[in-house]
Amino acid sequence: MNQTTQVTQNIDLANVAARAESASKIYGSGESEVRALDNVSVSFERGKFSAIMGPSGSGKSTLMHCIAGLDALTSGSVYIGETDLSKLSDKEITKLRREKIGFIFQSFNLIPTLNAYENITLPLSLGKSKGDKAWIQQVIDTISLNDRLDHRPSELSGGQQQRVAVARALATRPEIIFADEPTGNLDSKSGGDILKFMRRAVTDLKQTIVMVTHDAVSASYADRIVFLSDGHVAGEMTDPTPEKVLDFLKHLGE
Amino acid sequence: MFRLSLKMTIARKGRLFLTSLAIILGTSFLSGTTIFSDTINSTFDRLFTDVFRDVDAYVRSTDSVDTGFGEQRAPSPVAVLDTILKVKGVSAAVGDMQSYARVIAKDGKPIGQDQGPPTFGGIASESSAGLWSVEDGRLPNGAKEMMLDRETAEKGKYEIGDSVRVTALSGTRQFTLVGIANYGDISSPGGATFALFDQPTASEFLLRPGFVDAILIQGDGTLSDEELAKTINAALPADAKLETLTGAEITEETTSQIKTVLGFFTAFLTAFSFIALGIGCFVIYNVFSITAAQRQRESALLRAIGASRRQVTVSLLVEALIVGVLGSVIGFIAGIGLSRALSALLNAIGLEIPTRGLTINSDAVVQTVLIGTVITVLSAILPALRSGRVPPLAAMRDTALDTVQKLTRRVTIGLVLITAGAVGLFASMNGADVAVLGLGVLGVFAGVLVIGPALSKPVAMMLGKPVSALRGVTGAMSQQNAARNPKRTARTAAPVLIGVALVTAFTALAASVKNEIRESIGSSFRGDYALSVNSRGFGGIPISVTDQLTQLAEVDQATGVGFIAAKVGDESPFVLVFNPQTADGLYDLAMVEGTQKGLTKTEILVEADKALDKNLTIGSKINITLVDGRSAQLTVAGTYTDAYGNYAISRELFEGSATPLFDSFVYIKTAEGVSDESARTAISAVSEDLGVGTLESRDEYIDTQAAQVDQFLALIYGLLFLSVIIAIVGIIITLLLSVFERRREIGLLRAVGMTRSQVRTMVRWESVITSLFGAVTGVVLGILTGIVIVVSLNDSGFSAFTLPIGNTLFILFGAFIIGVIAAVFPAWRATRTEIISAIASA
Repeated sequence: MNQTTQVTQNIDLANVAARAESASKIYGSGESEVRALDNVSVSFERGKFSAIMGPSGSGKSTLMHCIAGLDALTSGSVYIGETDLSKLSDKEITKLRREKIGFIFQSFNLIPTLNAYENITLPLSLGKSKGDKAWIQQVIDTISLNDRLDHRPSELSGGQQQRVAVARALATRPEIIFADEPTGNLDSKSGGDILKFMRRAVTDLKQTIVMVTHDAVSASYADRIVFLSDGHVAGEMTDPTPEKVLDFLKHLGE
Repeated sequence: MFRLSLKMTIARKGRLFLTSLAIILGTSFLSGTTIFSDTINSTFDRLFTDVFRDVDAYVRSTDSVDTGFGEQRAPSPVAVLDTILKVKGVSAAVGDMQSYARVIAKDGKPIGQDQGPPTFGGIASESSAGLWSVEDGRLPNGAKEMMLDRETAEKGKYEIGDSVRVTALSGTRQFTLVGIANYGDISSPGGATFALFDQPTASEFLLRPGFVDAILIQGDGTLSDEELAKTINAALPADAKLETLTGAEITEETTSQIKTVLGFFTAFLTAFSFIALGIGCFVIYNVFSITAAQRQRESALLRAIGASRRQVTVSLLVEALIVGVLGSVIGFIAGIGLSRALSALLNAIGLEIPTRGLTINSDAVVQTVLIGTVITVLSAILPALRSGRVPPLAAMRDTALDTVQKLTRRVTIGLVLITAGAVGLFASMNGADVAVLGLGVLGVFAGVLVIGPALSKPVAMMLGKPVSALRGVTGAMSQQNAARNPKRTARTAAPVLIGVALVTAFTALAASVKNEIRESIGSSFRGDYALSVNSRGFGGIPISVTDQLTQLAEVDQATGVGFIAAKVGDESPFVLVFNPQTADGLYDLAMVEGTQKGLTKTEILVEADKALDKNLTIGSKINITLVDGRSAQLTVAGTYTDAYGNYAISRELFEGSATPLFDSFVYIKTAEGVSDESARTAISAVSEDLGVGTLESRDEYIDTQAAQVDQFLALIYGLLFLSVIIAIVGIIITLLLSVFERRREIGLLRAVGMTRSQVRTMVRWESVITSLFGAVTGVVLGILTGIVIVVSLNDSGFSAFTLPIGNTLFILFGAFIIGVIAAVFPAWRATRTEIISAIASA
């Protein structure tokens, strides 16, 4: 427990890629009311690989969805850079997701009718922008998929599909990338590859990634872990190892 | 299992609604036309039961000609009344007439239209056997007096004491209105108009002095109607060629004759309702196929927990049965409204058919529900069998919905059908039977539908190219979505294909017919003006008009042409009657052999093809019998090509005949140097005074005649409109189901930055591409069908075909609009996709 701390407020705001302030998300009302997020304040540093961990029902996915502009908070606010999402219309949030946020989901990341390259450049094409050719090539080199770019998703393996998803998330050089259990559907070898790619994206390409996971090994690839439990921030850890994470989680359950 | 099916059916309200909608639309037209036909029939039943209510016996001539479009009968001598009145058991007898007479309203315009309900002239008498009774005023007496029915008097703004002008066989005359008549509670039966006179005036003015159409007889109650008719018949002079019917017989006969004529029409409507139903079948089949694929997991789960193949299949069929019955019942109710719309449509294009109330027979209900349910269950059989074949393991797998099957077998079957159809078409183009033509068209259509899934992918990709170029990745996705499931796209586009093919074929056919009419009239009509009516064989322009026109200083020459029913050889056609003396240089039949000039009353002209068919050459003899029973042997004096009708005879033949002869059109050549204005003024002074016909210049007349085809085309367009609606609904349903199926995909697109308006664009263009796929194949098929039909039915071959380019482009544009409209709701639904739950859903 010695390396965890509840204090996140004293991080330099200029270096924050995304943050939540007193974020609450309540489903239902009265008897059946569920507080998925209860007054959560958390921020994620630029150029870092962060992980959100917690048991199922802890609110980790909800937190990510709300920060990523996929869902709206009941109260509180979330910021991507300096932008307050609660002040934006659906159209503006969509544009923000397209330009400033990258996504990697657990499964079904790709549009089946588009080939790998088209999937990678999809957010750019949707914004009618050509993007940075050299950057895209660099991304594709990083995930080493040069020879499969004209293949449709159905012709790619699960691991390859996730690599395309990582490349798609990187293609716009976003402010921040959110990954929701990106290795949940993969065998451990492919999963490890993906995590290494994500790690390299942060270390070599100076990107920012926030990953939701319940797997200690996956989480250990991150620079910092935020633990969530019952809608609250239950602690955090920097420079994690799988052992330290498991140890923390054991105590969290008590 | 039944209860489970029922529960599953009800649980999926959206699916239930969409499937029902297809059935509702398909069956509503069927029920609409059935109700409409039943209503017309019962209207006429009641009408004639009313008309002949007090008639116990009916005497008429035995001479008649039945052209297939109603019967024409010779008049009876009024002298026979004396004989009949002396027969024991007869209490009253009176002459009856239902001849052409058109009342001219106070404002100078004739009441009633050429194509509306008939305008009758008849007899008003004090005899209790007469059909009419005095409501107001008194009975007419003498050559200067008349009565009107209540509604006609009101329409013409006439009151008792007014002077009324009436046009009939012997011209236009002026009468004093002395009374208003009615038949019991009916003021104006079926919208017809009635001008009534005393018998001598009616006979002389409307028909021929001393003759009436028939004699109505009332018994004194001592004999049954059958005995009365028998007694009267025995008393009639043997050589008078008269027969006696009972009141019931004449009612039945008149009604059935009207029904025969209406029967053509209702059969025509029924044909279109079956087209709509067939198109509905495609939609129903498509919906079941898609939902069966979408519930593959549900079916697999059922199989996994122990349901047999049979049970899975049966459960889907039970669902089809429930939806079928439900949809058909609602469809039947919707049909009631549709039958009114059908009435309105016919009125709008000028085919007024009187209907009273609404007749709903139990047969109509049973028929609609039965047919609707049966086609629904039949449409569900294949998808249900496919569902049953789902392996239980599919429940565990993330099954791929967009399966691509091999299309080789399908292409082979399709090509075989198309080839067989094409052989039929070529045969018919070279003179084979019309049935071969029909089978050929059917074969090609079926072949194209079978081959559709093989066509839909490449064609959709091609049609989508510009969309993709114009709309970037959004357009590219529309293109891919339209092409990703070729079977579904083909099935969705099939209703559009059929509808567009029919519309195109009819449009091309109409354009060709119009062109032919123009050419034909253009070459036969050599004058400057035409005075015409479109009377459909009842009434027309009194033949005296031509003489009056000829006497005008502004007119150089005028000639009238009419049509009359006659028996010629073994046929009963309408024969063209013209005046060879005045027609020369003004009305040209385009003679192939012989001359039309100087045709005598012992000669006849025959249309060239008919002559070939009947083996007639110049000098051949042919028998003709007129409506009044007079027959003559005529010599063929020549053959012609350009005219309405296959036989042409001289007006001279009718001198002294009791057959009423009208002109349908009068061609006029003005004197040299007469201006258009003074010619029109002079001619319309005569025609307007007489209240007959439409005066048009040569060009106007040709335009009007050609435009008659448009009226028919408008009717067909109107009838195909429902098929178009069904096609639109079919696209809507498919898109909704596709949007539902691609929920995750749409959620993902929204997550990575697709705006709502881009989602809308994506769905819209998919819809447009699907619709255009149907339209493009439909147009190609329609034009080919049009060419084949025109060439097979016409001797002048391919040159007779006219491609309506403007209309074809308009149809394609229409398909584009259909695509846009159909996408509105599904696109809206797609934009409402909840991103998170869509992505989370497995």
